[in-house]
Amino acid sequence: MKRRNRITAAFMAFILLASSGLTGCGNAEQENVKKKELVIATNSETGGLDPAGMIALTYLAYSVTALDELVTYDAEGNLEYRAAESYDVNKDSTEWTFHLRKDAVWSDGTPVTSADFVNTMIRSLDPKSGNGYANYLFPIENAEAIYNGEAQADSLGVETPDDYTLIFHLSEPCVYFLDLLRLPVYTPSCVSYADSADSGWDKNPETSVANGPFYLAEYEPEQYFVLKKNEKYWNADVVNLEQITYRFFDSTEAMANAYESGELDVAPGVPSAVLDLYEGKEDLVVTNSIATRYIYPNLAVEPLDDVRVRKALNLAVDREELCRILGEDTEPTVNFIAKYMTDKTDGSYFIDGAEKPFEEDVEEAQRLLAEAGYPNGEGFPALVYKYPSLEQDSDTAQVLKEQWKRNLNIDVELQAQELQVNYTDRRAGDFELCRMNWTADFADPYTYLSMLLSNGTYNCSGIRDSEYDALVTQSDSETDPEKRAELMHQAEQLAVGEQFYIIPLYSIKNCNLIRPGLTGITQNPATGALEYRYAQWEQ
Amino acid sequence: MLKYMGKRILIGIVSMFVLVTAAFFLTRQMPGSPFQTANVSDKVLEQLEEAYGLDEPVPVQYQKYITGLFKGNLGMSFKKSGVTVAEVIKRAWPVTVKLGGLAVLVSLVFGSLLGIWQASSRFSGVKNTIWCGTLLGSGIPNFVVALLLALIFGVRLHLLPITGLGGWKNYILPVISLSLYPTCVITRIMNNAFREEMKKDYVILAKAKGLTWAQIVMTHILKNAGIPVLNYAGPAAAFLLTGSFVVESIFTIPGLGREFVNSIANRDYTLILGLTIFMGAVVIIINLLVDLLCAWMNPRVRKGILE
Repeated sequence: MKRRNRITAAFMAFILLASSGLTGCGNAEQENVKKKELVIATNSETGGLDPAGMIALTYLAYSVTALDELVTYDAEGNLEYRAAESYDVNKDSTEWTFHLRKDAVWSDGTPVTSADFVNTMIRSLDPKSGNGYANYLFPIENAEAIYNGEAQADSLGVETPDDYTLIFHLSEPCVYFLDLLRLPVYTPSCVSYADSADSGWDKNPETSVANGPFYLAEYEPEQYFVLKKNEKYWNADVVNLEQITYRFFDSTEAMANAYESGELDVAPGVPSAVLDLYEGKEDLVVTNSIATRYIYPNLAVEPLDDVRVRKALNLAVDREELCRILGEDTEPTVNFIAKYMTDKTDGSYFIDGAEKPFEEDVEEAQRLLAEAGYPNGEGFPALVYKYPSLEQDSDTAQVLKEQWKRNLNIDVELQAQELQVNYTDRRAGDFELCRMNWTADFADPYTYLSMLLSNGTYNCSGIRDSEYDALVTQSDSETDPEKRAELMHQAEQLAVGEQFYIIPLYSIKNCNLIRPGLTGITQNPATGALEYRYAQWEQ
Repeated sequence: MLKYMGKRILIGIVSMFVLVTAAFFLTRQMPGSPFQTANVSDKVLEQLEEAYGLDEPVPVQYQKYITGLFKGNLGMSFKKSGVTVAEVIKRAWPVTVKLGGLAVLVSLVFGSLLGIWQASSRFSGVKNTIWCGTLLGSGIPNFVVALLLALIFGVRLHLLPITGLGGWKNYILPVISLSLYPTCVITRIMNNAFREEMKKDYVILAKAKGLTWAQIVMTHILKNAGIPVLNYAGPAAAFLLTGSFVVESIFTIPGLGREFVNSIANRDYTLILGLTIFMGAVVIIINLLVDLLCAWMNPRVRKGILE
């Protein structure tokens, strides 16, 4: 045994010596400069490419480069017209008319018409499609009734007087309607091919036509898909790349390795370990994601039904220390609305428009806990914290357990779960404390605030607050941006700073590896994801 | 012989049935559900569960599944919309077979050659080096080998690609990772068997008859020394041809192993079951073939079967 250990040690030492300091240069990089190609890593294949089907990461990677929405916002918050060339809205924001570009065609040459937009909406409103964004169509007249099977599909409040005009009739004013338009359900799917989410049209290059700068040229399940430049695209002149290949990866570690070995040009969202490896190098690009990591305390569980206890738990967390331990890709936050969500009225960060919901204060936390009947944590039941067994969440759990023990003298039992199990338990409300993460769907605080509504799909901790619901509903129809922002700040303050329905922890930064020389990559202002339609290699 | 085969096939079918039943109920026992992911409303969830028959009691689901199975229908994947389990297998298995087949071939050839060399070499240096090498090679788990190879030849030296299966170069590192352990084991088995055989009278007789060393090895010794190797190689081949979970994941290879790992993480019930059944069938068939091959090669075994 001893001998074997020695041999192993010698072998390892040899390998380490042989491999250290030996670095080469990937040849993929140089070839791409000439070829105008790009190879990007993406997470393992999930869901399809049909905007009306089951939406997951693969669609999101595909759509940002291949599909044109009506309008979208750029990183500076300016409106960018894509499939539409102009729009009108009536005074109370209930009727939105979009004038489509007459020169926009699908990659097979047929014109993009208003019927293509309606096609996606109608198909998404069939719950059998499995589309998770259908609820974002509900501001449209009759959409919810159609979804619930209470109305016919043709009663949907969308009018198409001609091929190039699309009129939305909303049942209530919706001031953030333009923000919703980037969602899959508002993206067109060609009526000639897109019949159903199950027919396979979306992954077949012959039928999967695109109206954006790139179209699907090849799809190899579980391996990669290739997008080629759409020469028929109305704005093809600004597109520099000829081809983008997305390769599927199961793990972010494998992505980082493949980047290092020169097989990739972009590896987005790699583990924070690269922060040390690539420190000071041009390859490393850290971006802000529009996401908040927080904990749901279950309001149906004693003693979490007591606001004093929830407040004590919140005040006793040292978020600075937590993020110091977790790494530089996390930033402490006491807000629910993501730290980097911008306020479109002035381009500042939305949460900076109000006071922080609360300040951490250990002494106050101890006092509150005593007031709730647990002086120095005596008699406090051991709560169970459920979280997915991912590295960052596991580290978070350890630190929180230690902090709550140190500051409040209470015990928290940690329960790491598989991701799928964690989803199920959270959804069923089968937890005491449960980890949650929310990345914005669109660039408006409503994407967060709507989650805690009494009827919200993600409200799984039993929040039923009519005052909160009223504030959010009121903000929904307030057309004055400043008044609306004020209402939303009030709602957040109520939920986070007064009722402590959640325990916000930190916002997350994305570590991306991008080959130096590649420019023009933009960031989606709603989610923080990278976009490549205007990318190019420096000559 | 026919009776023996019939018996083996019957045992195989019974094992398959037990396997299917156990796998079916165990997957349903797993916490978590296939559809409860990110942004799915209750309405969608309900519709999906109804569409895939998950709203029915488990025994009814089981009965339907078995009925479908007898018709050769492995069902639709829960998570890959519009894709059948059969399609997934049809796509992923050739990948795994190519990789696993190469690994089997490499380990048989190199293992046998090294074993013979070790047994017949007169230099203690050769013997000891091979001995050390095999000890080391069979002691390191294949995921460590895979990671080390990826680190050295991909990340550091940029000599070989480490993801996917684009060209022939992509096969080198995964095949080495997969075949290192079986190669070492085969070397050891071959070395032992070969040394045993060399001591036997028929070898001395053959030498006395004036046969060349190559003739003795090829026509006489290998036939006998090969049987223990074959006994090991059977299950090893079954293992390699059903896909390595870890190596496929490390090198991002779209084979059965990676599908299996993902299907479990996604709770894709039909895919888990389909892959279990398929892999079970492959293992049973390969083991049967190896037994028959052994019988063909060794009259003593053949006699045992016939009786």
